[in-house]
Amino acid sequence: MNAVWLVLVGLGCAVALLTGNVDEMMASVLEGADSAIELVIGLAGLFCLWVGIEKLAEESGLIKAMARATRPVLGVLFPELRGKSKPLGTISATIVSNLLGLSSATPLGTKAMREIKDALKDEDDQMNAMIRLVVLSAAGLCFFPSSVVALRAATGSAAPAIVAGPTVLAGLAATCGGLSVHWLFSRRRRSK
Amino acid sequence: MSFLMFLAKMGVYSFPIILIGVPLYAHLKGVPVYETFIKGAEEGLRVALDTLPYLVAIFVGISCFRGSGALELVSKAFGFLLKPLGLPVDVIPLVVIRPISGSGALALTGDILRTYGPDSSMGLLASILQGATDTSFFVVTVYFGAAGIKKTRHALGACLFGDLCGFITAFLIWRAMVR
Repeated sequence: MNAVWLVLVGLGCAVALLTGNVDEMMASVLEGADSAIELVIGLAGLFCLWVGIEKLAEESGLIKAMARATRPVLGVLFPELRGKSKPLGTISATIVSNLLGLSSATPLGTKAMREIKDALKDEDDQMNAMIRLVVLSAAGLCFFPSSVVALRAATGSAAPAIVAGPTVLAGLAATCGGLSVHWLFSRRRRSK
Repeated sequence: MSFLMFLAKMGVYSFPIILIGVPLYAHLKGVPVYETFIKGAEEGLRVALDTLPYLVAIFVGISCFRGSGALELVSKAFGFLLKPLGLPVDVIPLVVIRPISGSGALALTGDILRTYGPDSSMGLLASILQGATDTSFFVVTVYFGAAGIKKTRHALGACLFGDLCGFITAFLIWRAMVR
């Protein structure tokens, strides 16, 4: 992240100075900082709603049941978390939200990240499980890409849902690609 | 098509079902529903606020990159490199923006759909690219921000490589569809 941030800011400033776009760049940066606050305020309500619902699911035993039901899949994906039903349950709720395209994906995903951190002691184990969850969420595999289909319908498409199949395949490829890179890096780290 | 409609409806209907089903189930299990919801909501608020510094940092970085025109230059460079592969020039900015800014990418897709028509070959490609992945920069920032982790190791790299795999697959499917 260090290098990424430096490149974004450094390259941005360099281009602005070379092309004389300084005013525009400055306005855009201030706007960016503002929109981060706006976004958090917008997200806060969503987070309250979904973490609130998740708490109910947790206390009533639903999260534990989800962890048990998804153990065959998640046990393979998250071997570090074996037997830890709290983070596993939240992870499965996050993945289901992503697949259904629900707004609960980000609130639950962030909560799962905190639970992974609390559940594991070893830093490498923590990071490996967290990166896997982030890769799964960033690929955003979803049964039905509702925002694109809605946009296509709004612009007068005769077959708005025709892209659903291709996007699922592309999402699968993104998931597998991300997971393989993580696998390679985590193996290289361990062998050091 | 009916299976597709079922999937589409599943996303829409699962929301009210979860919203009423979970509290009802909790109530039947003897959980104090209101108090527990508030407890969770408090935690949710804390999580959201914890991500703020991380979001400000990444937004400042991205808007600096965008506002200065650097993003446009990178898009052009990519266009130059990708042109021999048969990727239409107009969707290249979309490929560059997709992992960086979700709203930016959606706006760009909207532009392409309006300009070329959603059922044109260009509109089709833009739609598939848009739906192929989620916004990697946002996910990495918010997720690790919520956990209070600043050193994210290879997380962004892995996500971006995943995006690339998604785009390549989208492109190949599109070529097969259009021909």
